[in-house]
Amino acid sequence: MFEGLKNKLKGVRSRFGASIEEHIEESPVVSLPSQEIYAGEESSHQAESIPEDHQVGELSGKRIPPSGKETNPQKDGFFTKVKTLVTEREFILSEKDLEEPLFELEMILLESDVALSVTDAIIAHMRQSLIGNHRKIRQSPDEIVTAALKNALREVLGEGLDLVGFIRSHEKPVKILFTGVNGTGKTTSIAKVGAFLRKEGFSVVIGAGDTYRAGATEQIRVHAERLGIRLIHHQEGADPSAVLFDAVEYAQAHGVDVVLADTAGRFHNRANLMSQLEKIRRIFKPDLIFYVDEATAGNDAVVRAAEFEKTIGADGVMLTKVDMDKKGGSAISIAHTIGKPLVFLGVGQEYEDIVHFTPDLIINEILGDDA
Amino acid sequence: MLDSLSNSLKDAVKKLAGKAVVDRAAVDELIRDLQRALIQADVNVRLVMALSQSIKTRALEEEPPKGMGVRDHVLRIVYQELVSMMGPETEVSLKPQTILMAGLQGSGKTTTTAKLCRYFQRKGLKVGAICCDNFRPGAFAQLQTLCQKINVPVFGDPAEKDALKIVKEGMAAFRDVEVIIVDTAGRHALEDVLIEEIMQINAVVKADHRWLVIDAALGQGARDQARRFHEAIGIDGVVITKMDGTAKGGGALSAVAETNSSIVFIGSGETIDDLERFDPNGFISRMLGMGDLKALVERAEEVMGGDDLDVNAMMKGKFTLKDMYKQLEALNKMGPLKQVLSMLPLGGMNVPNEVYDVTSVKMERYRIMMDSMTDDEMDDPSLLGTSRIHRIAMGSGSSVDDVRELIKYYKMMQRALKGFKGGGRFSMNRMMKQFGGGDKLL
Repeated sequence: MFEGLKNKLKGVRSRFGASIEEHIEESPVVSLPSQEIYAGEESSHQAESIPEDHQVGELSGKRIPPSGKETNPQKDGFFTKVKTLVTEREFILSEKDLEEPLFELEMILLESDVALSVTDAIIAHMRQSLIGNHRKIRQSPDEIVTAALKNALREVLGEGLDLVGFIRSHEKPVKILFTGVNGTGKTTSIAKVGAFLRKEGFSVVIGAGDTYRAGATEQIRVHAERLGIRLIHHQEGADPSAVLFDAVEYAQAHGVDVVLADTAGRFHNRANLMSQLEKIRRIFKPDLIFYVDEATAGNDAVVRAAEFEKTIGADGVMLTKVDMDKKGGSAISIAHTIGKPLVFLGVGQEYEDIVHFTPDLIINEILGDDA
Repeated sequence: MLDSLSNSLKDAVKKLAGKAVVDRAAVDELIRDLQRALIQADVNVRLVMALSQSIKTRALEEEPPKGMGVRDHVLRIVYQELVSMMGPETEVSLKPQTILMAGLQGSGKTTTTAKLCRYFQRKGLKVGAICCDNFRPGAFAQLQTLCQKINVPVFGDPAEKDALKIVKEGMAAFRDVEVIIVDTAGRHALEDVLIEEIMQINAVVKADHRWLVIDAALGQGARDQARRFHEAIGIDGVVITKMDGTAKGGGALSAVAETNSSIVFIGSGETIDDLERFDPNGFISRMLGMGDLKALVERAEEVMGGDDLDVNAMMKGKFTLKDMYKQLEALNKMGPLKQVLSMLPLGGMNVPNEVYDVTSVKMERYRIMMDSMTDDEMDDPSLLGTSRIHRIAMGSGSSVDDVRELIKYYKMMQRALKGFKGGGRFSMNRMMKQFGGGDKLL
């Protein structure tokens, strides 16, 4: 998962590292008047500039990112160097030192489908945390960069959500509403979550709230049948609120643990459909609202996530079609926009192709195990 | 966010107005904003870089054609480059044909299939759809429900696991059908087995067209996905779906560039009739968040070309009722006043908002009142005394107050023009330069 972003980020991390490292090397050994340091900086920048210009020409993504193994000797080499130096010396990074790697990071994020506004936020965070800070030279460049990136991502991803724990600790039935725009995979996701919860030992009922799209009820019926989950449905064109109300009634009467409510896909700019969703929320009274979107979505992911969050709210995000798109940028975009945790990832066409997620897991996935 | 972006793009464009020579810094700024706009519209990052580079080179190196302002020149290049990226316009032939639909899961293939059936049916052709999506539950029911409403036969068998068999039987069953549209299961580039399957389907169908269905929200992945589909079955057209959302559909551009094809249709709504032929101009405008770029450039050229308005006299501060009359006439041809005024060579003057707050009905009344004026009065509105106003009111079937209101309106316009003129020779010169690239985009 997220290999694309992971590999690319590894590349840029080592570039940040290299520019920091060179910066240190070129700095005069005796500390510390800042003017001298700036002089050192300039020479380091000049030394770098020729090969870098060449590289930028061919654009960030094409460069083969060094693998984790390659970065290690670099680290070691650095540490041996550090031993011979005064270890408590500080250095300051200037904007100039980071311009190239920051631009590269920006390109990588953009190419990985992180929305422009979110990319801007991350870059700003990186800039802020790296530039002008006094750094103890003992820290390895990789650590510095990784920590900054990690913080940037953590800020973006927020806290996690433990669904199983949530269901255990709440009054039954726990009602979960699934929302999202058309074609993101709400119905399939519900089947997967249903299968997941069943495996965790909960009893589940599904409400076929998509009464609009042709064939939607048929689709969820087949899923429910295959999984042996009870489905509450009306006919096409019925009031979705009524269907879901019936599903809750059924759950209460039969002591079912969880009600999963499907809804028809709707665009956030359709006022009527959005107010229909509000009505559904009023009547269904969900304990959790999961916003479903696809990993393949680009910048629009941000726009619609914000709009859904604003109109009916969301407690968690389910990201689908992650197997289609290894870049994973939209995970970051959506999480940043609505500030709600990613709960599930859909990673394939089978019922078990679902991953329960926490932010640390994502960050570690994206930045590698050493992060 | 989006609005602020298109505003900054507009600001960048504005900075180019009134420049006699192409200003490198201004072009750089425009390019940067353009890049951001395109990236935000999900156009592939590398494609954006290549495109903006060629726009920049052309903008800086090509001489603006005679009589064309710098800004028009640059905008024209932007427009041309974007259009060329979209590939040649494809004709949708109305001959008997077979169309194979391909695309990712959830991109809207089935809905689009039904919409296409409707499109060809309305053109008077006999249409049939084959559903060989036997993977997703409900896919056949969905297509059948949609097609039943428009009386189009659907061939399919949800119980049959072999898609190839369905296609073969379907093709045989639809031997006397003119347009056959084959809906396939959603698949993506990384599923080799399914890619292999669609290659086989394509071999059986021998489709005349193989259209790739792309969700308007599809991001940077569009390029790789399109490439894989293109390698497998040779995509010759792209259909963008879900354009009724806020997504800009830049992913489709990446797909078009990758497959060397063009955009055929746009799906823009949930009902079966919501399918439009692709219009590059509208698409670009939406993507950049700017008004109708092509029309603005074209209409502006028309206006600039005509001798209807005595621009020089107006520059000297001589704005008479006659000029206003001509504007009102132009208004009939050209839509909202704000737009018309913005196209007239009045430079970048700030017309007060009240000037625009005049409804078209009122405009029409003003015109009638002016029809009751003499030539002299039109040339020199200061002649208008009480008795003349009374005569005009009688002649045009309006009241004295109406005529006074017209005069008030005229004076307001005049003041606005004067206000712009004030500022001495320097600003006059600047304004003269702006003639080349009058402020056409508000």
